Amino acid sequence: MNAIEVSDVSKSYGSVLALDRVSLSVERGEMMGLIGPDGSGKTTLFRILTTLLLPDSGTATVEGFDTVSQLSRIRRRVGYMPGSFSLYQDLTVEENLKFFATLFHTTVAEGYDNIRAIYSQIEPFRHRRAGALSGGMKQKLALSCALVHRPTVLFLDEPTTGVDPVSRRELFDMLMPLREQGVTILVSTPYLEEVRRCDRVAFLSRGSILGTGTPDYILSRFASVFCPEPLSHDEDEALRKADNVIEVSHLVKAFGTFHAVDDISFSVHRGEIFGFLGANGAGKTTAMRCLTGLSSPTSGNGRVAGFDICTQSEQIKRHIGYMSQRFSLYQDLTVRENIRLFAGIYGMRGKVVGEKTDRLLESLQFTSHADTLVSSLPLGWKQKLAFSVSIFHEPEVVFLDEPTGGVDPATRRQFWQLIYDASSRGITVFVTTHYMDEADYCDRVSIMVDGKISALGSPEELKRRFQQPDMDSLFTYLARQAVRT
Amino acid sequence: MTTFLSFVLKETRHILRDTRTVLILFGMPLVMMLLFGFAISNDIQNVRVALVASSADASTQRIVERINASEYFTVTHVVGSPAEAERLMRSRKADMAVVFSQRFASHAHDNTAALQVITDAVEPNTSVQQSSYLQQVVQAGVVGGSSPVNTSLLYNPQMRSAYNFVPGIMGLLLMIICAMMTAVSIVREKERGTMEVLLVSPVSPLMVMAAKAVPYFVLSMLILVCILLLSTFVLDVPVAGSVFWIFFVSLLYILMALSLGLLISVVAQTQLVAILVSAMLLLMPSIMLSGMIYPVESMPSVLQWICQIIPAKWYISAMRKLMIMGLGVGMIWREITVLASITCLLLVVALRKFNNRL
Repeated sequence: MNAIEVSDVSKSYGSVLALDRVSLSVERGEMMGLIGPDGSGKTTLFRILTTLLLPDSGTATVEGFDTVSQLSRIRRRVGYMPGSFSLYQDLTVEENLKFFATLFHTTVAEGYDNIRAIYSQIEPFRHRRAGALSGGMKQKLALSCALVHRPTVLFLDEPTTGVDPVSRRELFDMLMPLREQGVTILVSTPYLEEVRRCDRVAFLSRGSILGTGTPDYILSRFASVFCPEPLSHDEDEALRKADNVIEVSHLVKAFGTFHAVDDISFSVHRGEIFGFLGANGAGKTTAMRCLTGLSSPTSGNGRVAGFDICTQSEQIKRHIGYMSQRFSLYQDLTVRENIRLFAGIYGMRGKVVGEKTDRLLESLQFTSHADTLVSSLPLGWKQKLAFSVSIFHEPEVVFLDEPTGGVDPATRRQFWQLIYDASSRGITVFVTTHYMDEADYCDRVSIMVDGKISALGSPEELKRRFQQPDMDSLFTYLARQAVRT
Repeated sequence: MTTFLSFVLKETRHILRDTRTVLILFGMPLVMMLLFGFAISNDIQNVRVALVASSADASTQRIVERINASEYFTVTHVVGSPAEAERLMRSRKADMAVVFSQRFASHAHDNTAALQVITDAVEPNTSVQQSSYLQQVVQAGVVGGSSPVNTSLLYNPQMRSAYNFVPGIMGLLLMIICAMMTAVSIVREKERGTMEVLLVSPVSPLMVMAAKAVPYFVLSMLILVCILLLSTFVLDVPVAGSVFWIFFVSLLYILMALSLGLLISVVAQTQLVAILVSAMLLLMPSIMLSGMIYPVESMPSVLQWICQIIPAKWYISAMRKLMIMGLGVGMIWREITVLASITCLLLVVALRKFNNRL
């Protein structure tokens, strides 16, 4: 008997078909990866399997129990980690764990052996509130909470999104022993290195499973999606002017005695693509806030687009663009309204805006969707549009904060093509990312560890200097040297 | 049972760690009681009276002294003609005028002596109150003080508005705290995604709801005690009836509010919606249509019908009878029945609507 058996399951929300006759079986003790772009139906499938949603047609069983009629038996046996860390932010680490243990009629002591490997890492912080933990630690706590009642089937819905490569690797290292104990795991992830660690992988796209098989088989069969041709980026030296758009020297940002950013110095040339890497909690976001004029540094100084970050934050804001995964566009406005709004914010004139909007929509091939609400666009499109909007007013430098979360490699590659276009027009790009293949796309990268920049240079140069085969191992090598938490 | 207790513990922690909310929950009763008790009042005080008297005889003088001696009125002007008095009122120098007829004293026994009271009827309630107060004061002063009409004010002899507001505030606050806070705390779990995990656990969703209600129930009881203490010792509104029955009816009312909160949380998907629905559905009617401020009996009949389904109306009415009038429980069986039926109805609907899936 298979641990998970899905046959011909369909589910629609109104007129939107989320799952279209999906069939899938997972053997006991198997680690099955569920991959596919945002909006392909992964979360819906998870919710049907965890008895949270009723399928419109078809049947699904977990451990031999039907998800519709035998829900209480399933609920006793599964562990579930939804996409957003389902922790109580105002309870401490220990209180969260205790609560979830009693939820499943067990105690922390009884389940401790099952979670020892994971929980022992966050146990030193057991009196800290969950809301004050870093992304990687929250993820470990959420996993501990999902495992404390020794479930036989584990559902993990994108457990590593927004988490740095080191924490991601640690999480998957923890899943391996569980598999040996016979726990069945169904996990969705956008990261290829995690896909490769699964036993089998199912590729879900627009509600249908396009293929199931070993990671190598799926990745090569759908190579056009997962392993797109590497981008060719010819370094046009003529365009590289010698002047620096960003110059930072001895920047410090302290909160009390804690130095979030601890004496960093670097500079970024005009038209360069600069990757700003670091683990969660290394100080990236704080540094970026200082550079964009949102927060003033404790000491040190810097210039962005020719303006001082300590005294001229208002001028800086006029000359930069900003896009983040968390907020980029208004979902309840149309494409055209969003463009007009952001153009208006930067004081562009109506006539220019109209012409430029048409040109932009044409180049993105969005013309037929100009009056569509942003909320109904696929995530990959939203990201491209958000980037185009952030450079619509021709800023000197654009800051991108994890711009490409949750989309497949092919879509990310298209996004980076836009970045290259912008860079060739002389716009400097300052980008943070957790995807190490994207780090390879940058002209230069810096890697932050414990508030300091511990490596700075072109990807090739850094790999040579630290004798690491790829950016992923380089990042892991450096981030593991972190001492603060 | 351990699961239930750990749930209650978790909810209590949520409440206590959110210091601002706790402050509001306990600050609100305090502020409202003091505001309604002292600042906002319908009581008549310091009314400036303009006298129109053509002759200053002994009889007139006696009446003037009586008016001046009362705590409600002060004679600020004495003028010769009614027109002058009206001018004073128009320029807001006097609030009302009393006009004595010509040769008031000499006609005292032939029934032609007359007094005219002129009031500012822009605020009708105040105007009526002022003139009736004045009549009482004057009547006692007119020869012999014998008058066929003798008014006796039962239950609230000093006509203090606090007697009216205390039950009203109780009805309002218990509703806000129980219904709104419960609804918001459930919807917050939906919004944060923790509800998904709770549902996928073997715990029955009913238990989740019950455990959420417990801390708010306790909190409401504490607030009820606070209000009663404040009203007895600060506002001098005595609790005339049985404390046991006051708590019994309040308990019923709190249960009603909790089930209403549960119902709202079933319908609402975001905290904002939960707050708006609670405010529109609970606060406004509880203030406007419960008889707390405006008497239900003087509303148009359509509104009177709507008032009948406002739970706060029945609670406030029961509290007035129990607390202020000191009536026994036999007199409020109607209120108790109505509140109990509303509670049952809400609970049944909420539980039927409640889904143990997403």
